[in-house]
Amino acid sequence: MNFANLLRGAAQMLFFVAIYEAMTLLSSALSLHMPGSVLGLALVFILLRTGVIKLGWIELGAGWLLAEMLLFFIPPAAGLIQFGSLLAGSGLQILLVILVSSVIVMISAGGLAQLAGRRRERAEER
Amino acid sequence: MSILAAAAFIVMTVLVYGGSKLAHRRWRNLILSPLILTPVAIMAILALCRIPYETYNEGGRWLSAMVGPATVALAVPLHKNAALLKKHALEISAGVAAGWMTGTAAALGICRLFHLDRALADSLLLRATTTPIALAVSGMIGGISTLTAVFVLITGILGTVLGPLVIRWTRIRSEVAQGVLMGSSAHTAGAHKAFELGAVPGSIASVSMLLSAFLSLFLIPLVAGFAA
Repeated sequence: MNFANLLRGAAQMLFFVAIYEAMTLLSSALSLHMPGSVLGLALVFILLRTGVIKLGWIELGAGWLLAEMLLFFIPPAAGLIQFGSLLAGSGLQILLVILVSSVIVMISAGGLAQLAGRRRERAEER
Repeated sequence: MSILAAAAFIVMTVLVYGGSKLAHRRWRNLILSPLILTPVAIMAILALCRIPYETYNEGGRWLSAMVGPATVALAVPLHKNAALLKKHALEISAGVAAGWMTGTAAALGICRLFHLDRALADSLLLRATTTPIALAVSGMIGGISTLTAVFVLITGILGTVLGPLVIRWTRIRSEVAQGVLMGSSAHTAGAHKAFELGAVPGSIASVSMLLSAFLSLFLIPLVAGFAA
């Protein structure tokens, strides 16, 4: 990784920060019930599809942001310590709701997607 | 609060995270998943040094603020895999819809069973929705935004651990189905984990996360209140 690449990646990351901030402002100005991140995602996707911006211009920075996304969840996760009393009170029940419903979502979403995929493949073979 | 101290907390977080990732690569067991080990290690450091979370978060919030731009960056893998997404549109939407409905029904049912308080139950309905949309909806239906954020976070952490296990147990081999499973159950955290399985499951999971969030945006206001 040379210095020029480092600068390029950093500048591209700033592009995503700028889009995110602009879309967050727009969303609150027009009081849309839509987060800036989702508006920004839609905007950048459309710009890429229509060729207004080229993939090469932002690919490096996007790769960096996505590669370490879990890092961005760490500070709020460490903040769970503040909710100790709530989690001590109804924590077990809350955990059960989340655990059971998550497993149900996984089995039904993954299972149906796999089933639908197999059917489509069989239909295409005919 | 000095900028120096904030920077020190950022560096500390990155170092602990890097260490957890190394440990996870070395001993592939679940407890060492970086998303569990890192926050626990940081909580321990803060407790030992008697640093309040608010002080730590002066630095930490700069890292968490990057979730927004990183979500925007999901446009890149979506663009690269657009043809794939179009090809599998039916499976993705069927899977996401099924997951959303059964998950919401299960959460509603269990909340009622436990007689959970209405604000708590409504916040729990948003557990699998990506944080920004979950917070917007939570505001609309009278959920508690901090609680909603906490539940979304717990769902994400659990999902990154449970998802790969459920994939193994249920023998879901299709990469498309793996992506749908991760994205619809554990939002952005699940989508990120899915990129570790491959670019195909990762992109599919990102789309599933978005579709599922839109379902919550339009449908949760209709079902809120039935959980308590």
